[in-house]
Amino acid sequence: MKNSEEMNRAVEMYADMVRRICLVHLKNKHDMEDVFQNVFLKYMLYKGSFENEEHEKAWLVRVTVNACGDWLRSLSRRRWIPLESLLEEGDAPDDASREVMEAVLQLPEKYRRVIYLFYYEGYSAVEIAGILGKKENTVYTWLSRARAMLREKLGGEWA
Amino acid sequence: MNGIRRSMEGITASRELKEGTLRYLERQRARRGCTAWRRVSVYGFAAACCLFLLLGVGWRFLYAIPTSYISMDVNPSIELGVNRYGRVVAAEAYNQDGQDILEHFSLKNKPYVQAVSILLEDETYRGYLTENATLVFTVISDSPEAIMEALGSIGMTEPYSVLTYTSDSHCMEEAHRYQMSFGKYRAYLELAAYDKSVTLEDCHGMSMGEIQERIVGCRQHEGESQGGHHHREGYPGQEEDGTGWEDGADRSGGTRWEDDADQGGGTQWEDGVDRSGGTRWEDNADQSGGTRWEDGADQSGGTRWEDGADQSSGTDWDSGDCGGRGYGGHHGGHHDR
Repeated sequence: MKNSEEMNRAVEMYADMVRRICLVHLKNKHDMEDVFQNVFLKYMLYKGSFENEEHEKAWLVRVTVNACGDWLRSLSRRRWIPLESLLEEGDAPDDASREVMEAVLQLPEKYRRVIYLFYYEGYSAVEIAGILGKKENTVYTWLSRARAMLREKLGGEWA
Repeated sequence: MNGIRRSMEGITASRELKEGTLRYLERQRARRGCTAWRRVSVYGFAAACCLFLLLGVGWRFLYAIPTSYISMDVNPSIELGVNRYGRVVAAEAYNQDGQDILEHFSLKNKPYVQAVSILLEDETYRGYLTENATLVFTVISDSPEAIMEALGSIGMTEPYSVLTYTSDSHCMEEAHRYQMSFGKYRAYLELAAYDKSVTLEDCHGMSMGEIQERIVGCRQHEGESQGGHHHREGYPGQEEDGTGWEDGADRSGGTRWEDDADQGGGTQWEDGVDRSGGTRWEDNADQSGGTRWEDGADQSGGTRWEDGADQSSGTDWDSGDCGGRGYGGHHGGHHDR
């Protein structure tokens, strides 16, 4: 079990990323907090070691994505909550950004996921495939379709 | 910076969310630390319980399981189960007389010699040991000689007859199926070998003295009809080549001797001397405290036969099989139920 100092470091370093991944997947603020805490609890209890920071980050991305998926499957009947309830004050810097965010959040879950990891976290399709445990071609396909849907909603000014 | 990145740049975890999470993690740490210790103590407790259980089972196996059996039959039929330490761990009566006796006291955990002495000294039991009575000890054990020698050391000087036999667990199983002690069942089989009209029900109601009297009577009758030759071809289970003894004498009753002298009502020997009241042998050799045999060889502590062959490991007869096929003093062998 990791000590308090290690947990302080991890939370400071990765809290924003975990929150964003939760936002991309979840529809409820309370759910987001539960998953957020759950992810860091898993990190605290993880007995393995990481080769480097990139390895550690990729591990956390994977765990967060899985935790969100598990949560959604267990709460599949939750109704859609307006974006305002998910966002905290100051989350979206301007209206254009908010529009982009809303468009992304309206994508199917698997597309949202790859869009976030590709465009926000900067992972390559190969790396995303490794994190999510999917084939590369699958990730390319999802990215392609997600881009097409965003282009339809937003035009060409989002990437 | 792309539009997606820009749109999400402001998405951060609030201070409140981080601090709440760290507090939650501390609580989890404390709870799991406590649980780990509790798990160790639970496992330790469970391990200790298993150990005690194993020790208890092991002790029970060593102490409480009989390794030998002694059937005492007069009128009362009582079986004693004796453990490896020579202690009585079971006492069963196989008729009402026996049950009435056992109600008076507990024989459990007593050395078997002491238990037998207690029975013999009991007033009610002594009431059955009349002049014409026959007390029959039948032993099932890997080492029946030691038990029989120990029984022989018990002072039994009353005018009743005492006989000792060995048997086996197969005989015991059959006997219990018929609600009879294995000592009495062995006697029934011996009698039935001579007299096929006798039934188990008949023997249930007979005393050992009565059964013994009929056996002797049958033997005498056969002896007369066969001119002294005692090998009965019709004896169930006995091979044509006989009982294995040199003289072909019938030893189906257990410890018997070559001379076929009338030994009814006890063991009596060819010299005609009445030795009823004890197990004694024809050769008048010093046999204090043991079952000895006509050849005069020192066979203290064993059931041995006229041919002098060493059979000290038990009674290994030709037939040697209970169940009506000839038993002749079954070899002491299996005894565990």
